[in-house]
Amino acid sequence: MFQWFSRLFNLIKKRHKKSYPELLPGKENRVLSSSLEKNKKVIKGIFNRCDDLVIREFMIGRKKQVRAMAVFFEPLVNPDLLHHILLHPLMSVEQIPLPEITVKWLEENIIPNGKIIEKSRWAEVTYHITTGLLGLFVEGQPSALLISALEKNSRQIDQPTAETVIRGPADAFNEDLRKNIALLRKRLHTSRLAVEDLEVGEVTKTAVKLVYLKGYVMEGLAEEIKKRVRRIKVDSILGSGQIEEYIQDSPYSPFNHLDITERPDKLTAALLEGRAALIIDNTPFCLIIPTTLTSQFQSPEDYYNRYWFASFIRLVRWLAALASLFLPSLYIAIITFHQELLPTPLLMSILVSREGIPFPALVEALIMDVIFEVLHEAGVRLPRAFGQAVSIVGAIVLGQAAVSAGLASAPMVIIISITAIASFTIPSIPLANTVRILRFPFMFAASSFGLLGVMALLLLLTFHLCSLRSFGVPYLSPLAPLSFSDLKDALVRAPAWMMLLRPQQTGYAEPKRQAAGLKPHPPLTREKVVNRGRRNG
Amino acid sequence: MLEKAQIGSIQLLFLFLILEGATSFLYAPSPTVRIAGRDSWLAISLMPSVYAMLVVWVGIALARRFPFQVLTEYLPEVAGKIPGKLLATGYTCYFIMLTSAILSQSSSFVQIAILRQTPPLVLNLILSGVAACGAYLGIEVIARQNELVWPLWAFSIVFLAILALKDINCENFLPFLENGVMPVVKGGTASFVYRGEAFLVLMLYPYLKQKNEAAKAAGLYLIITTLFNALAISVTLGVFGDPVTSHMLFPYYELARYISIARFFERFQSLIVVIWIAGTIVKLAGFYHTCSIAAATTLGSSNQRLFLLPITVITLLGSSLLYDNFLKLVNFLFKVLPYNAVAFQLLIPSLILLVSAVRNKGGKQLGNKRT
Repeated sequence: MFQWFSRLFNLIKKRHKKSYPELLPGKENRVLSSSLEKNKKVIKGIFNRCDDLVIREFMIGRKKQVRAMAVFFEPLVNPDLLHHILLHPLMSVEQIPLPEITVKWLEENIIPNGKIIEKSRWAEVTYHITTGLLGLFVEGQPSALLISALEKNSRQIDQPTAETVIRGPADAFNEDLRKNIALLRKRLHTSRLAVEDLEVGEVTKTAVKLVYLKGYVMEGLAEEIKKRVRRIKVDSILGSGQIEEYIQDSPYSPFNHLDITERPDKLTAALLEGRAALIIDNTPFCLIIPTTLTSQFQSPEDYYNRYWFASFIRLVRWLAALASLFLPSLYIAIITFHQELLPTPLLMSILVSREGIPFPALVEALIMDVIFEVLHEAGVRLPRAFGQAVSIVGAIVLGQAAVSAGLASAPMVIIISITAIASFTIPSIPLANTVRILRFPFMFAASSFGLLGVMALLLLLTFHLCSLRSFGVPYLSPLAPLSFSDLKDALVRAPAWMMLLRPQQTGYAEPKRQAAGLKPHPPLTREKVVNRGRRNG
Repeated sequence: MLEKAQIGSIQLLFLFLILEGATSFLYAPSPTVRIAGRDSWLAISLMPSVYAMLVVWVGIALARRFPFQVLTEYLPEVAGKIPGKLLATGYTCYFIMLTSAILSQSSSFVQIAILRQTPPLVLNLILSGVAACGAYLGIEVIARQNELVWPLWAFSIVFLAILALKDINCENFLPFLENGVMPVVKGGTASFVYRGEAFLVLMLYPYLKQKNEAAKAAGLYLIITTLFNALAISVTLGVFGDPVTSHMLFPYYELARYISIARFFERFQSLIVVIWIAGTIVKLAGFYHTCSIAAATTLGSSNQRLFLLPITVITLLGSSLLYDNFLKLVNFLFKVLPYNAVAFQLLIPSLILLVSAVRNKGGKQLGNKRT
């Protein structure tokens, strides 16, 4: 009986193993052979049909020659480096001093750059070759030496495309992980900056770096992120959004739990507030963890502009966000249910322009808003050259013609245009997208129950927002739960010398941000100095 | 205690304020003015405050003896198994009845103020649905929500008062105490049920983070809520005078309709009403949460969320069957509920406090935990 069970169990286990995608067929788990010919055969088997793989055979040494071969992917390896660093020195050396070529000998005498590693299992060797290292196989040695000769074919550091500012640094992350880390290290000259390696994706083996500031980071955050990222078992990670969906706290929420940025200065500021970030290879957008609603209304520029203006513009941003969420629904509610809210002349003019419109306000708003969404999407997807055509069609044909044909009223066109423009002021792109979606349920609620519907839905939404947490931090954090000292950087931006403490929720590991009493004052006149001296004694 | 939630002392204060204010601002002024006339500002601040002080004192004294349990959990421990369970059942029923009354109050107000042709059942459904969702998410979420709603709500009250200042006629308050003290004392009873809502400290105390700040929150609550009520009623009286006010259903709402500044800034009552609706929804959510906790602890269940749906259905039925018209509701609120309230908010808790003191139950956990 027991045997039968155990056999069944084994069967299930085997099944399970089989169903798992075999990423390393057959030979890759074996150990290398010491015969060069055999190794060559295995490589040709593993990299079957990879025509960009080069196997370059040559002799090491001039007097006592040893057969060797270099295996690499041509597009990934720099040919100059290959020649100058590897082939030429190895071929022109007199003879190998030792019985076999060791890492130490190579590093000390032959190859002036990079790191060299020695691997003897096929799985590891093939993996490193696919990442762009060059594999050096030598006759009689059952291992491969992996040498870095990477071709630097990433694009130059460029201006940010999604988060533009006027006053502030104009460099942005790009697809090259190393460059991104370099941009960060350039700003944080401290040993506290921790960069930890993670890897996601069974096939893509995408490098992911967890960065944070040791001692400043929220307690337990780094461990939690590592735990959640290591849980991910997928074939591929091609962009930061994919990781976000696997690690967010409430998977069904329409709100983003992580902020994305392509600006190193924003990322640096986030790290200094006790947050952590994931930098992912091959994508310019990093993930800032955790995020709150208010932090998504902070643009880096707020801290470069004067605080009066920054506060004003931040309030404008909040107002615009609210308008972008509520304006169509408020208009529908007022026109359908609460006409008394409008002053009579305004109401009259709206009614006059609505005369002859065959649709109720909701349908009118839906038509115009859907048209706007279509235009928006077209604007994002279309090739640059067509841009002008679409904007002309959008502006003139749809806006002007819809009004004069009596399909939509002029006030509705205005409302939708304000809504559309307002939605672009939200600095965080995922949040702006959320607002774009949420506008529609509000419109339906408004047309069914007027302001009550809008309020009820808003309360549902805020109940949801209150229950949200991003890696343990309440999503509405400085507002609810209320923390007075953090309000300085929530709806407005207080002067820099007033922000003594880091945000309570994330930065309590090292709360103090700056010395107290940095408020500047004019230089003391001679009288004052004298007076002060008298007063002090 | 079923949930592992924690609320701060400011959150508790705000919860007290919204649990009292959300409906009392609408319903309490009219009957008070009917009895106490032009002295209602005194009526609404004097007796109810004394009453509320007693309620809060008894509530906190009792809650301190059982700092990690809600009322319905320790009733059997104090009063004996069967009487305790009976009392707990009674409290659960009282909470459910109160909740359906609140639901009815809110939906009646919404119907009269902004949506006259909508059937009350639909309004009840919307309000109770949103509130039950909030209660489902737990007391922590309700408290946070309230941190957003209460300031807005308080702002709307003060804002209206400021805008109405220029229309106040001080002669409306004179002569002072024309009919003696009795109308003032009697008039105060109308808002007993609202002001005593702070007895929910018995159900909220276990969630409080800093237990010793409950008294501070309650004290602040007494002061702020008295000020607010006195302000609202005196502004209304000052503008309309007592004969007119006593015939209004919602005097403060009428004030919002009345205000007109420079013939441009006027008729914004719908927006104000929306804020007040938000307040009542938060209040309802708090009560739904209390109901579900009370039901779950009485029946010995470990998941209070299971009870939310039946409770919502019962309150919906209750509010549409018991108070199917406005007159019935008002009659119930001011002729029946005050007696109920005094019993459940003050008398029974003080009795339990007495019994627990005599039988020496509870009271030791807090001291141990604090170290």
